[in-house]
Amino acid sequence: MESYGQKLTDSWRIALFALLIAAGIVFLAVSLHRVQVERFSVLALDQLRQSVRRVQVPGPRGRIFDRNGVCLADNRASYCIAYYVEELRKRGRWINTIRAVDADVDRLAAELGIPRQLSFTAISNHVLQSLPMPLLAWRDVDQETLARWAETVEPFPGVDVFVQPERIYPQGALAAHVLGYVGRDRPLPLPGQKIHFYLPEMIGKQGIERQYNPTLTGTSGGRLIRVDARGYKHAVWEGEPSVAGADVHLTLDIEVQRALEKVLRGWRGAGVVLDPRNGEVLALTSSPTFNPNDFVPVLTPGVWKRLNDDPALPLFNRAVLGRYAPGSTFKPVTAIAALRHGISPDMTYVCGGAFELGTMRLRCWNTYGHGEIALRKAIEQSCNAFFCHLGHTIGYAPVYEEARRLGLGTPTGIDLPSEGGGLLPTGAWKEKQMRDAWRPGDTCQISIGQGLLLTTPLQMALLTSVFANGGTVYRPHLVRRAGLPETLNMMDWPPAAITLVRDGMHDVAELGTGRRARVRGTAVAAKTGTAEVDVGGVRRKNTWVTAFAPFEQPTVAVAIMVENGESGGLTVAPMVHDVLASVFGETPREGDDTADTAAPEVRGD
Amino acid sequence: MLKSLLDRFQRLNPLLFACMAGLIVIGVAFVYSACSVREDPELRMLYMRHAEVGVAGLAAYLLLAWLDYRTVIRRWGGLVYLFCLVLLVLVPLVGEARMGAQRWLFGIQPSEPAKLGVVMLLAWLYSRRDVKRGAVMFFLTVVAVGVPAVLILMQPDLGTAMVLVPTVFAMLFTARVAPRIVWSCVLAGIAAAALVLSLIYTAERAELPRERREQLIAMTQLKPHQVRRLQVFLFPDKDLHGSGYNRRQSEIAVGSGGVWGKGYLKGEQYMLGYLPPSVSSNDFIFAVLAEEAGFAGSLTVLLLFLGLLVSGLWVAFRCQDDTGRLFCVGIITLTFSHMFINIAMTIGIMPITGLPLPFISYGRTFMLTMMAAFGMVQSVSIYGRESETRF
Repeated sequence: MESYGQKLTDSWRIALFALLIAAGIVFLAVSLHRVQVERFSVLALDQLRQSVRRVQVPGPRGRIFDRNGVCLADNRASYCIAYYVEELRKRGRWINTIRAVDADVDRLAAELGIPRQLSFTAISNHVLQSLPMPLLAWRDVDQETLARWAETVEPFPGVDVFVQPERIYPQGALAAHVLGYVGRDRPLPLPGQKIHFYLPEMIGKQGIERQYNPTLTGTSGGRLIRVDARGYKHAVWEGEPSVAGADVHLTLDIEVQRALEKVLRGWRGAGVVLDPRNGEVLALTSSPTFNPNDFVPVLTPGVWKRLNDDPALPLFNRAVLGRYAPGSTFKPVTAIAALRHGISPDMTYVCGGAFELGTMRLRCWNTYGHGEIALRKAIEQSCNAFFCHLGHTIGYAPVYEEARRLGLGTPTGIDLPSEGGGLLPTGAWKEKQMRDAWRPGDTCQISIGQGLLLTTPLQMALLTSVFANGGTVYRPHLVRRAGLPETLNMMDWPPAAITLVRDGMHDVAELGTGRRARVRGTAVAAKTGTAEVDVGGVRRKNTWVTAFAPFEQPTVAVAIMVENGESGGLTVAPMVHDVLASVFGETPREGDDTADTAAPEVRGD
Repeated sequence: MLKSLLDRFQRLNPLLFACMAGLIVIGVAFVYSACSVREDPELRMLYMRHAEVGVAGLAAYLLLAWLDYRTVIRRWGGLVYLFCLVLLVLVPLVGEARMGAQRWLFGIQPSEPAKLGVVMLLAWLYSRRDVKRGAVMFFLTVVAVGVPAVLILMQPDLGTAMVLVPTVFAMLFTARVAPRIVWSCVLAGIAAAALVLSLIYTAERAELPRERREQLIAMTQLKPHQVRRLQVFLFPDKDLHGSGYNRRQSEIAVGSGGVWGKGYLKGEQYMLGYLPPSVSSNDFIFAVLAEEAGFAGSLTVLLLFLGLLVSGLWVAFRCQDDTGRLFCVGIITLTFSHMFINIAMTIGIMPITGLPLPFISYGRTFMLTMMAAFGMVQSVSIYGRESETRF
């Protein structure tokens, strides 16, 4: 015991340790205060930043209605079978989880008796790139499969039905070229917000769907997903709700549209019906057409190939993009230009069956000639020689100016995503493009709507509507607007001149080539046209009728063009009749139909 | 007999016991938190193992408090030391390796009782009257501590080896052994640490050619993972997804707790796995606690440690003999070093070392060792106040 004796240690040394320990603990307390109290907001935000993912959720897409409230584009619920991968997670490397999902998809496919749609690559891409999102294994499944899923005996953890809105066009192919179609795509991020994941959004690809996409789309909402360190979904917080897109109300009248499409069925052609009082488009179609429902939920390669390889070009909107010589339907323009430039309404010209200019000889359709003929009769008879003479007399400049102000040569500015302007040539244009000078023959050709002049059916409908309303060019539009219609030009035609041309067009429908367009109970004015064109070495005839009605107070202007028709009067005029009849109705027949009995006599363009 | 038992009971230091019990209860609660997200049912029950060790440790605590520490340290101290040494030698021979280190032998980590062995050995050695307190004693100490320290370093377990340094120096200082050499060593140690840090700092910071940088880092004589930890300490934002990941995530956990915390079982860092589950129940348990209980919880733990450590030193202060005093100083310094390094690394103001937080971290050998050690401190409280002559 002696070996341990009394203490040698000093108590102050122990007290010093107590002080040091207290100092150390105070130091830790101060440091913890700095981290937990002073830097709290920064570090809490860092934590959210690393663990919260934003999912952009599109708002329901707006619907599209015709002028009477008939629904043309709507949304339906599409049922998908979706995998929630976090329920099937496997430990270790990602490939374990991918394989587990892949095997389960096979198992479920066998259970439901449907072929799997999901490839192994698609699964691994999903797991590696959008883990917290549902993995859609089968899209748009039918009721039978859904019923079988509901009755499945075997448990399938992590599989659930996922409802997704899908576009539907209740009228089928009707007005397809106007409506366009949608595709699914990556949405645009909301300003100032980063999207980590998104639900593919419906985006308009053509037509009104594309033109008014911002209106129809609405505002995306956000959903916040809490993910764990590996990226699996842990919790979901609803963020700001999405706002539905606005509905779009069109100027289209579905009955007129239906009539127009019915008459053009089987033909390649296009037709446009305008309201001459304000430029509203009542109907617009291009034939053949397509069914926008084929593009939902996704356009299959087979359908795409069929539509693209079809020589009739069903996806091509002839009404606004086609380029066609207007033929005789252009003659009212030549007439009004002449009347404005000092040609007397009573001036006559002797038609000998052709117009000769130097070595050039332009034949009139009436080979025997119309004899001595004045303007009103020339319009009714559509005398080529007369109009060639007229154009030659006044020169190209007045004709060009009139046509330009009527909107030819430039797109009308209709609210569709793509529109052509046709071609209204100038001397400079010909010089540049064809390395040839402007010749009087060019003027004569254009005076009868042939030669270098090319127009779209929409332009011709617009032109007709200007003759109908007496001289105001309204911008054609498909979506209804409040307020005054937009005016492109005021023609300022002398009242006598426009009256004469309109009378001539009235005669066409009453007595001339457009008789088949007549509608009982309504006075119609029309102009027919047959343009000869060279399509790959083959002579084809593009046949036209432009018309407006009722004659005194027109509410409808129509232009219909059919490729490779017989003649305007024979092929197209009955179509115009049906379309006008759909607008005005037709009083019951009284005795013989003069249009029918007179049919064999209808000759000319 | 009953009277002496009652007498001994009255001499127990109640604050010492209360603080330890409080820390253990907190430990079980937050180990439960941390392991509740584990998938493996065995790992999910980790808190039960922790509680069981607490109960077993309590038995050891009471037994050692009842036994006279003088007998235990003077008779058995050397043997405990030698026994631990044998176990440490056996570790590389028959031990099992987990997570890149060979530290376990039959389910225990001999490096933990070795710390207690070293403290017991030195408390016995320095309190003997017949030993000189000069240079010879100092070098004897270096050898006695050096052998187990090197064995622990080889496992490798730098943290445990390092924590012996302040413990031993505190005991040398208290025992007044070779004060000049002790002070020189302390200064040399600080200088060496500064040198290593500046070498790594220069290598990372300056635009040096690759081989020159590698040369500088090689001069530190540290293992690659140790170099990486020091790099993370010096440049915390350098490699947030690699070696700096744990530091960053524990900082986020502690900081996002705020003043009052997110609430019990509502910590997000460990729940979502950002704080890796392999460390959240042991080395980084404080991050779990700080996130769920906030600054208030952190402060509570610090106050419990303050109570524990100061009452431990109070026991030493009241003790009448050097054996008890030195033992208490050793154990308190060891505990303080563990706590300080662990909490400081959790908030990024010390390099990451795998040192557990006493009584709170899951770790059975360490828990049992610490409870045994504090049982002996309690024994010092009971028997140390009597003068030697009464024996």
